[in-house]
Amino acid sequence: MATPILSVEGLRTYFYLSGGVVKAVDGVSFTVNEDEVFCLVGETGCGKSVTSLSIMRLIDHPGIIEEGRVLYKGKDLLKLPESEMRKIRGREIAMVFQNPMRSLNPVFTIGDQIAEAPMTHFDVPSRDAWKTAIEFIAKVKMPDPEVRAKSYPHVLSGGMRQRSMIAMMISCEPSLLIADEPTTAVDVTIQAQLMDLLLEIKKRRKMSMMLITHNFGLVAETGDRAAVMYCGKVVEIGSVADIFREPLHPYTQGLMNCLPIGTQRKKELEVIPGTLASPVNPPEGCRFAPRCGFAMGECKLHEPPLTAGGKDRFVACHLYRS
Amino acid sequence: MLALKSFKETLLRLLQHRTSFAGLLIVLTIVVLAIGASVIAPRGYAETDPVNRLLPPSGQYFFGTDVLGRDLFSRIVYGARIALWVGLLVTFIEALMGVTLGIAAGYYSGIVDKAISAVTDMVWAFPPVVLALGVVTVIGPGLTQVVVAIAATSWPAFTRICRAKVQSLVNREFVLAARAIGETDSSIMARYLLPNLMPSILVVSTLVLPSAILYTTALSFLGFGAQPPTPDWGAILADGAAQLRIAPWIATFPGVFIVITALGFNLLGDGLRDILDPKLRI
Repeated sequence: MATPILSVEGLRTYFYLSGGVVKAVDGVSFTVNEDEVFCLVGETGCGKSVTSLSIMRLIDHPGIIEEGRVLYKGKDLLKLPESEMRKIRGREIAMVFQNPMRSLNPVFTIGDQIAEAPMTHFDVPSRDAWKTAIEFIAKVKMPDPEVRAKSYPHVLSGGMRQRSMIAMMISCEPSLLIADEPTTAVDVTIQAQLMDLLLEIKKRRKMSMMLITHNFGLVAETGDRAAVMYCGKVVEIGSVADIFREPLHPYTQGLMNCLPIGTQRKKELEVIPGTLASPVNPPEGCRFAPRCGFAMGECKLHEPPLTAGGKDRFVACHLYRS
Repeated sequence: MLALKSFKETLLRLLQHRTSFAGLLIVLTIVVLAIGASVIAPRGYAETDPVNRLLPPSGQYFFGTDVLGRDLFSRIVYGARIALWVGLLVTFIEALMGVTLGIAAGYYSGIVDKAISAVTDMVWAFPPVVLALGVVTVIGPGLTQVVVAIAATSWPAFTRICRAKVQSLVNREFVLAARAIGETDSSIMARYLLPNLMPSILVVSTLVLPSAILYTTALSFLGFGAQPPTPDWGAILADGAAQLRIAPWIATFPGVFIVITALGFNLLGDGLRDILDPKLRI
């Protein structure tokens, strides 16, 4: 049995806006095991990124983490004082962001930026931190680490910047890396290189990884287990192989039908009818019911809880209850 | 740790920009006058000579002499020292207050922002000269009082610019990334935000500095600032005003210097703003 490194239980993060309360994350639970790649999949706006930011406790006003527990190695991160939480960020859990164009500080060289994390966490003198930075630039396979360390972000390509970002995030050797759509903003060829790099680092360091993406291809290639999110809720959890072989939740099935299959020539890809439910006024009962082909009377009345749907599988759907 | 390369680049572009190059020349001249005052000035600024009173400009007295026979050229050269020192001091105090408050207001939204913004708006509405007059009335005239009073009312320019810039910067992912590696708020403000604000701070400084010089010379002209025999340009101008009909040069030269200095800094600032405008950079 795999040991969990991170378990999120009943996490709720709401944003209090003038137009209403956006329930971006509304009762999300899942576990990330040690040494695995856990994927969080869903459409844009379903609450994937807010979940990851909530884990790191980087939610800003007007967002509030309402309730839930985020157990990291047994400790509830949501209860830690801010000073303790700072020691977790970067050192224990690190995060790679989506847009490498915007996630580096334009006025510092990338060497300086990578050196920041070791200086913050281990209190090493700047000269040693600089050496560490060069070492990690080499580890993310950028050519001429000494030269690159002295470059400013604007002279680097998107792929190189994302590599620098990864170097910055792994420089304190965290146990868990949250990658929030790390390859969305770069070209397909670079995507493959970056994913290979991330997986290689993950393997070498025995690091766990939480990969947030809307790209099912990426999930199939890299993931061990996955959770599918819809409108602030997890609708299905299981091993990637199981989910692809037999998706249980109608939403997951719908998503699978949207995917082109390489060998078959379908005339047209299917689409899920309707649009993403509003997180301000979610539909009563199951949030997917208005778009679901299998919706029953029950679905519009009661919200289905996440229940076991097979070995190590969970699904939130009335079809699989009783 | 601001880029040396970009500094060189900025300087190079400044030299190519015609008006700002003129501004730079003027500013450098004033700086040279101020630093080398004791070498450049042929006589002391308080050296009186009753025999040679109210002489017009000549080879011996470049700018003529005043009612006490003091060499006007020497007084103006020493005056550059005061003008520049006052300008720099006021700008420094203002930048220190304004930038700190601006970053805090931009970084912490909510009540901190509201409080700082309210105070900033209030101070912004207050005319510096009026407060300076009030301060001087209470604790007596003097350059220090004037400097403090001007600085205490003019810092909102920095606060507003910094607040707006920080508000746009905190949403950039690099600030989030900084937090994600465990940086403290204060280190994010000092090490991530401040360096990004430097170009704006520099530009605002070049606008604040000449206006600080104008305010202090104005107050000295009214007799509330520098006291005799301090060769403040405003004070010399006031002396000259009394002799305007018999010795017009006494009022003319300090006036010209005040205008040229303010102009020089403004031209330099305009050029810097063009060069450092983020929209023109990659």
